[in-house]
Amino acid sequence: MLPFTFFGLLGFLALSIPVGIVLFLLAFGIDAFFSPFPLMRGLGQILWSSSNHSTLIAIPLFVLIGEILLRSGVAQKTYSALNAWVSWLPGGLIHANIATATMFSATSGSSVATAATVATVATPQAEKLGYDQRLFTGSIAAGGTLGILIPPSINLIVYGFLTESSIPKLFLAGIVPGISMALMFMIVTVIICSLWPRLGGPKQHSTWKEKIVALKSLLPVLLLLFSIVGSIYVGWATPTEAAAVGVLISFILAMAYKACSKKMLMDSLAGTVRITSMIMMVVLGAYVLNFALTAAGVGRTLQMLLEGLGLSALATLLIIVAMYIVLGFFIETLSLMVATIPIVVPIIVQLGYDKIWFGILMIILVEMALITPPVGLNLYVVNSARKNGKISDVVVGSLPYVGVMILMIILLIAYPSISLYLPTNF
Amino acid sequence: MLRIIDLLKRINNGVAIAAGLVLLACVLLILIDILLREFGISFGGSEEISGYVMASVSSWGVCYALTEKAHVRIDVIRNKGKEAARSIFDLVALAATSYVAVFAAYHVIPVVEKTLKRNSLANTSLETPLIIPQAIWMAGWIWFAVTSCVLLVCALVLVIKQKHSQVNDMIGTETE
Repeated sequence: MLPFTFFGLLGFLALSIPVGIVLFLLAFGIDAFFSPFPLMRGLGQILWSSSNHSTLIAIPLFVLIGEILLRSGVAQKTYSALNAWVSWLPGGLIHANIATATMFSATSGSSVATAATVATVATPQAEKLGYDQRLFTGSIAAGGTLGILIPPSINLIVYGFLTESSIPKLFLAGIVPGISMALMFMIVTVIICSLWPRLGGPKQHSTWKEKIVALKSLLPVLLLLFSIVGSIYVGWATPTEAAAVGVLISFILAMAYKACSKKMLMDSLAGTVRITSMIMMVVLGAYVLNFALTAAGVGRTLQMLLEGLGLSALATLLIIVAMYIVLGFFIETLSLMVATIPIVVPIIVQLGYDKIWFGILMIILVEMALITPPVGLNLYVVNSARKNGKISDVVVGSLPYVGVMILMIILLIAYPSISLYLPTNF
Repeated sequence: MLRIIDLLKRINNGVAIAAGLVLLACVLLILIDILLREFGISFGGSEEISGYVMASVSSWGVCYALTEKAHVRIDVIRNKGKEAARSIFDLVALAATSYVAVFAAYHVIPVVEKTLKRNSLANTSLETPLIIPQAIWMAGWIWFAVTSCVLLVCALVLVIKQKHSQVNDMIGTETE
């Protein structure tokens, strides 16, 4: 059954069948070939109970926030403000890319949206100021991946939904690793640009007066950030309800910037439904496959297989990490997560690892998948924001940041408290 | 042929806007719920209703995502092929989608039939007659099956006529 699932997954994906549909097909296959009793008779009920779920409403709402911010000019203002604060460092604007990506990660739940937003506002600057395109674009692709690690995060919501873990705890667990990774991205940039100044661009010095004035443009994003995070931790709202608060605030911001029009509203709504349904197709497929695998007893099969290998918990974990890195070359984020959660998370729990901790580890692994070719959505998103240029520029420019992610994975395995300190103490 | 595809697209654009507006209404409901709770009034229906909204938005939204070519496909191998080969990949992908859509719709209908027969109410304080949200949700799945099958027939005809660029416009992947 496991080889069937594994090779079926790769084979169907290679045929370019939509990811969500592939998961359904695998579930049908398991039902037909491996299950002693018919499973799919309950398909309708599974589809109803998995989509009639109030937690999931957070997905469209966070997508909507991103759509509104992008269309209302908040993104551009934030970028120029952060530019005034961080571009004196060796590497110049590259730091503004990372800082803006980090800030938007805290309001958006998606990496691709974050990368797209930053790329749209940043790329014209790079061409004007004569930056080396590689590191510049790479920093946007990598910085954008933080979108799913720093809360709120659609991927963490889906992880929590599929593994039945607490979403506020997952959000808390993502904060420290997310911010440390952003800082490490900046440190690596400083090191590279000090050694090879050609790779960066002109440093930009702003006066204190300019910096103070710039702070004003940061207010909208900060307001949004605090209203989302604040309403969760003050206890007014659940993470789902906080997303609704965020939608309200972003509408108010768009109105304050006089960017609210009927067309803008319709475009945002259609965009939201498109992205949400694309995600839901994959989530529903994963849910059905999850059900089929569990009912057909895959947990026991796997456990026996692993016991047979006689590996230590750490060795098994490392094999799983290696598997994600390899799969990450070919499959993108959410698909990779939902396709593997039903198989991998039960093993991890059985090995005695923490579900919340593994959620964060998995997020960093799929972040890496976003910027590793041939299938790395962020690479393409960032590259398509430029007028011309080869995709290989972005790939090469992302490499240093892939290094940072690997370092972060090692740190997380060695010191789980990096992610677990906040959720266990607050 | 192209008229049919165009019509499908326009209907599904309308579906998307309607779904979006329902989402907005849901935001409003959640906000009211939060406010009322601060004043000590418990309404508590927004959670239940957002579940129904999510179910319907996803079953109808997948149709829109289909005509918008938004469903994630791994197209590395597909893009290596020539025009005709790409069309074959697209056909296979769409055929698989139609199969799943029809199969899902077929199994969704009995759920609603049972609800209708038993007059089931939700096990909540609102006591929603489940037939309302479930009927909307079921219609979405049926529409998904219809949309994908119609697209499949259109695509087959276009492939036979060797109109590969039109196939790509209709059911291809967005290439960079």
